[in-house]
Amino acid sequence: MTLLIEKKPEAAAGFRPLRPEFRRGFAPLAGAAVLLTLLVALAEPAASWQGGWAETRDRTHAAAVLLGIPLALAAGCWQGGRERRCRTGDLLRTSVRGALPRFLASAVPVALWVAVGHLVAAGCALLATWYCATGDSPYLVVPLTDTLLLFAAALGGQAVGRVVPWRLTAPVLATCGYVVLGFLSYDHRNTYAGLSPLIDTSVTKLTVWWQPWVSVLWVGGLAATAVLALTARRRAVALVPLALATAAAITLVEADELTRPNPVARRQVCDTSTTPQVCVNKRYEELLPQITEALSGLTGRLEGVDNLPVRFEDRAGRSRPDEARLPMVTPLGRSVVRGKLTDPELYAWEAGMSLVGRGECDTTDDAVARTDRAVEHYLAPSPMEKYFDDLAAKGTEADRAKLKARQQARARLLGMAQDERREWLSEYFATADVCDPSGVPTL
Amino acid sequence: MTGTVLYARSRALPQTVLALAATALLAVWAAHALDSYLDPERRVPVVALAPLLAAAAIGASLYSASDELDRTAVRPWWHRRLAHLLCLTALAAALLPLAVLSSAQTFGPPAMVRNVLGCTGLTAGAAVLLGARLSWLPVFCYVSAMYMGISGVRGTALPAWAWLLEPGTGSGAWATAVLLFALGGGAYMVKGARGTP
Repeated sequence: MTLLIEKKPEAAAGFRPLRPEFRRGFAPLAGAAVLLTLLVALAEPAASWQGGWAETRDRTHAAAVLLGIPLALAAGCWQGGRERRCRTGDLLRTSVRGALPRFLASAVPVALWVAVGHLVAAGCALLATWYCATGDSPYLVVPLTDTLLLFAAALGGQAVGRVVPWRLTAPVLATCGYVVLGFLSYDHRNTYAGLSPLIDTSVTKLTVWWQPWVSVLWVGGLAATAVLALTARRRAVALVPLALATAAAITLVEADELTRPNPVARRQVCDTSTTPQVCVNKRYEELLPQITEALSGLTGRLEGVDNLPVRFEDRAGRSRPDEARLPMVTPLGRSVVRGKLTDPELYAWEAGMSLVGRGECDTTDDAVARTDRAVEHYLAPSPMEKYFDDLAAKGTEADRAKLKARQQARARLLGMAQDERREWLSEYFATADVCDPSGVPTL
Repeated sequence: MTGTVLYARSRALPQTVLALAATALLAVWAAHALDSYLDPERRVPVVALAPLLAAAAIGASLYSASDELDRTAVRPWWHRRLAHLLCLTALAAALLPLAVLSSAQTFGPPAMVRNVLGCTGLTAGAAVLLGARLSWLPVFCYVSAMYMGISGVRGTALPAWAWLLEPGTGSGAWATAVLLFALGGGAYMVKGARGTP
């Protein structure tokens, strides 16, 4: 006699139909497409965001919204047309499960893979910044809410793909997504600009805390409305997410301000051991040792000199009267690439130029201009100085005469005894921003 | 009905021609709405997205509902496939430049024709590998990534892989686009689109 032993159902039996959907077919391809697209879009100008947490946040957010959402719409839409393409719609309708579980079994794997693709791309961007971060701290809410946005977009796209039986639905829907998001994000003064998850922020600003979550509610509400209107047993249920999406949209459009200043961007860290002191914005505090090192020659030559600005400052807005502006380190990718100063000599020259400030004078006396250039040469010569000297040496008689006068002025300043030069420089810096040439000591 | 008419109907060619015409009209409207006569750089969305849509339409037309049956035919298919691809590409290349006629140097007609060739080549190649119905995906990813990433290299000489957004008539960008068209079109001509449901 044979005994039949009843096999116990496995714990994960309920997920069996989903497993092939996750592992094979279009879902992994959609995730890979999102990952690759975002990585390529982020990689090419990597120097413009790598190293700055706010820059990384803005770049990944823009890529996720402008590229990820249209791609998620297209991927969902393509998956939505699968049953029609395979002609299995009638067969599926005979299954025991309702329309919503059938829809979710097909839609969730694609939406999850799209979300995972985005998360991996955002994670790569965060890692790329982490190893050369210049200060501040990572902003994690933005990539997380972007992932939810892409998930919702893929679900919404799937609903469209189910309804519209046309070969080009997916690329056309994605292009419409491009156009709508581009239109909303292009002009931030637009009344409806708040409806785009990509709102006008700069690296010195933050969105108000609720904006990313309300954006998710707005996009997710629309997607849920489409899904429930298509699949729910009682279509009226779709009114609930529609009401939530409408409330979110009204909140975003009617809000007075969706951004606020980043408190970190208002603070500075300073090295007070030099003259002038060197202060760097707290967002780039890790750059302070490099900047102090780059300016060490200049600050060393100014030791004991009076009438100098108290510090080089690095805050938004105009400098105070007793401060000089530190040369800008932003936008990243120019002076600073991956957490390193690209040209310390040029940076020091720019800092020296901010001390010799007669840029706002309408006209400058020849002798005063020559003296300014000699002081500039003494503090931190321009990397281009030799090139312009050579050019003048090959120029006209007048050019050569001017070059000779400039060289004599430089030699006179260098030839002074240390105490004499310190006194002369103190007298010079007392008039460094005066346009009237009569009181300026000249060389 | 003759074989040619049957072929055109089976590949949805009338609808594809209509889609190309609609894309051209949309491109003309978009170029006008963006005030591109003020600054040719504003044409970038038009010069990138219009060839993408045209290539997606051409790619979708490469689908055959009776692929396995077609492959049992005695007559060779390559000249039909070639004529199909060339005619639609020529039509797109003739219609889309109408949107950017005002300046030839920066994102003008040569750039539009080049992008039509490159995008169609990518789509035809994708039809061989992924199937005609999904052939829009690779070109869509490429255009998306370039459109955003290119802002970092704009103003300098663009590398060959960024042919899509070369503003002028750079020979490197043209060579890459023509090569893509030759490779993708050649692969489609020889192998045909991959049979997918």
